[in-house]
Amino acid sequence: MMVNSFSQFESPVFLTIPLILLALILPWAFYPSRLHDDSSNRTLTLQNWFIGRFAKQLLASSTPKVHLWATLLVSLMLYIISLNLLGMLPYTFTPTTQLSMNMGLAVPLWLATVLVGFRNQPTLSLAHLLPEGTPTLLVPLLIIIETISLLIRPFALGVRLTANLTAGHLLIQLIATASLAFMWIMPAIATLTSILLLLLTLLEIAVAMIQAYVFVLLLSLYLQENS
Amino acid sequence: MPQLNPAPWFYILIFSWLVFILIIPHKVVAHTYPNPPTSKTTESPKTESWSWPW
Repeated sequence: MMVNSFSQFESPVFLTIPLILLALILPWAFYPSRLHDDSSNRTLTLQNWFIGRFAKQLLASSTPKVHLWATLLVSLMLYIISLNLLGMLPYTFTPTTQLSMNMGLAVPLWLATVLVGFRNQPTLSLAHLLPEGTPTLLVPLLIIIETISLLIRPFALGVRLTANLTAGHLLIQLIATASLAFMWIMPAIATLTSILLLLLTLLEIAVAMIQAYVFVLLLSLYLQENS
Repeated sequence: MPQLNPAPWFYILIFSWLVFILIIPHKVVAHTYPNPPTSKTTESPKTESWSWPW
């Protein structure tokens, strides 16, 4: 069994229990659906604001048919952003670094947007494969290119999220290891490396939120295009 | 790369979807809002000219 920098991404199993179950289930303790009475507190208010404003911002420019997807898209956003941000804590496992989970989310949801489009308005959905105003000679080539670009979308969605988070976690581990290794030999370099680590961690927190948003935004765009 | 090991793929898929379907929408929908969402109307509001002399 080779231990290398990628070992942090192995799906951990302890006494034959896959610990990804804990990583998937425990974050939702941070989101109480109600308190013991009907009052509210600061945390619930902030979550309320976030959910309402995000739903409004995502769906403001779309038709009422797209609004039927609001619960799904907001749940997806909450899911991904919580898992990403909790993964920034040291020694936690981030399920969204697993290609299986991201492809498992991306492929069915993308396919749903395509099938909704083809069922409700098949001509318009097929028409998306040819941009308006292309010269006649280029038409066959462009249809092939647009079909390929359509079929590659689920892979792009899944791999984008996986790669961004995996790369971020890997960089953090490498720079932290370097900082520790330098500490006894060249403390000045270790200090600089620690400052780099701090900046990188801030970047990764931003990336965690942005990638969640991009995932949901692209899905909503694919949906609007198809309905 | 351990993410490409296909052994845990099926149960990760099942558990992530189970959590996504069973747990989260209940918590999202529990947040209620006092006013229903409205779309913008095309009428602009009528404003009277300001009559206070400054």
